Amino acid sequence: MCLLCEQYGDGYERWYFNPANYARRLYKIRKEEAEAAGAEANPQAAGGMAVLGREFLEAKERGDIEAMEKMKKEAEAGALATHFGQVITLDDALKIIDIMYPITLITCACRRSMQGLPDEGNFTCIGMGPGMYKWERWPDTYRGGVQFLTPDEAKEVVTKMNKRGLVQCIYTFGTPYIGGLCNCDYPDCGGIRLRVDYDVKVLWKGHYVAQVDPELCNGCASCIHRCQFKALNFVPTRNKAHIEATECFGCGLCVTECDQDAITLVERSSLPALVDEW
Amino acid sequence: MLATITVDDEKCNDPLSCCKCLLVCPSHALGLGTRVGPQKFKEIEPKHFILRGVRFDKCTGCMECVEVCPKNAIQVSFNGGMGK
Repeated sequence: MCLLCEQYGDGYERWYFNPANYARRLYKIRKEEAEAAGAEANPQAAGGMAVLGREFLEAKERGDIEAMEKMKKEAEAGALATHFGQVITLDDALKIIDIMYPITLITCACRRSMQGLPDEGNFTCIGMGPGMYKWERWPDTYRGGVQFLTPDEAKEVVTKMNKRGLVQCIYTFGTPYIGGLCNCDYPDCGGIRLRVDYDVKVLWKGHYVAQVDPELCNGCASCIHRCQFKALNFVPTRNKAHIEATECFGCGLCVTECDQDAITLVERSSLPALVDEW
Repeated sequence: MLATITVDDEKCNDPLSCCKCLLVCPSHALGLGTRVGPQKFKEIEPKHFILRGVRFDKCTGCMECVEVCPKNAIQVSFNGGMGK
């Protein structure tokens, strides 16, 4: 069972289908320093390393598993309370676009820090909820400002991003309030890289797992470049795509690319070994 | 061995508009950050942006960033010292 669905689902099939999770308060009492200063105040925030710095990499190098686990646990707990993500499918993304309001297109902070992308080429994140009015009010604060979108425009944008090969992820801003529908890729997305390379769960797996039907797979390999999680490879001796179920995040990017309909998404909850693997 | 990546901020004074090292790094090991947090009514000035080594474990020591830097501001070493 997904912990988020349990805590914040309120009877909805998924926690991110619950409209209450898109209705963050417009006003709140500002917290002291750490939050008021913003994560970007820390230069190591670049590339999602705000939560885990060089000490973590040094512990990893000297094989200090205890120190690594301690740092990971702290980072995960902090992320879960304030800012963490979950991978979702394109279908689920299109559904939540009908729930959220207002909807905007904003710039990606990860790609600014990892590629130095200028604002005009960097509008890949969907921002949502009342927080967007702050972005509108203070465009200088939030580099690039916002472009407000209708639900239909937002669906078109997200579908295009999926086509380009970007993974749809929702992110909370003060859990459980969902404020971003990001379109992410490895290695520049801080969430994906922290998760895939260091197994730090700031980005959770989604509710599905992809499976290849070997009868239908014709070995065309057009899906292979779609996986951002190192879960998909091509097996030459069988001339088939292979998906490592334990590594699959259930984003469905391989599914939307397959002309043969050889890849399907199954519910994570239907696989006993993976039911608690988020 | 973990790389030590140091950047001379005096020389690298506008990384936001340069970004050559970020784009040349085959391991995406470098990152752009800021000295200050978001500010009301004003954009963060270019001089507050700083370049840093981030994914030290991914750096192979190929020195592409050192070579591409027009300001000669980046140093990469593998002597076990601490990166800044």
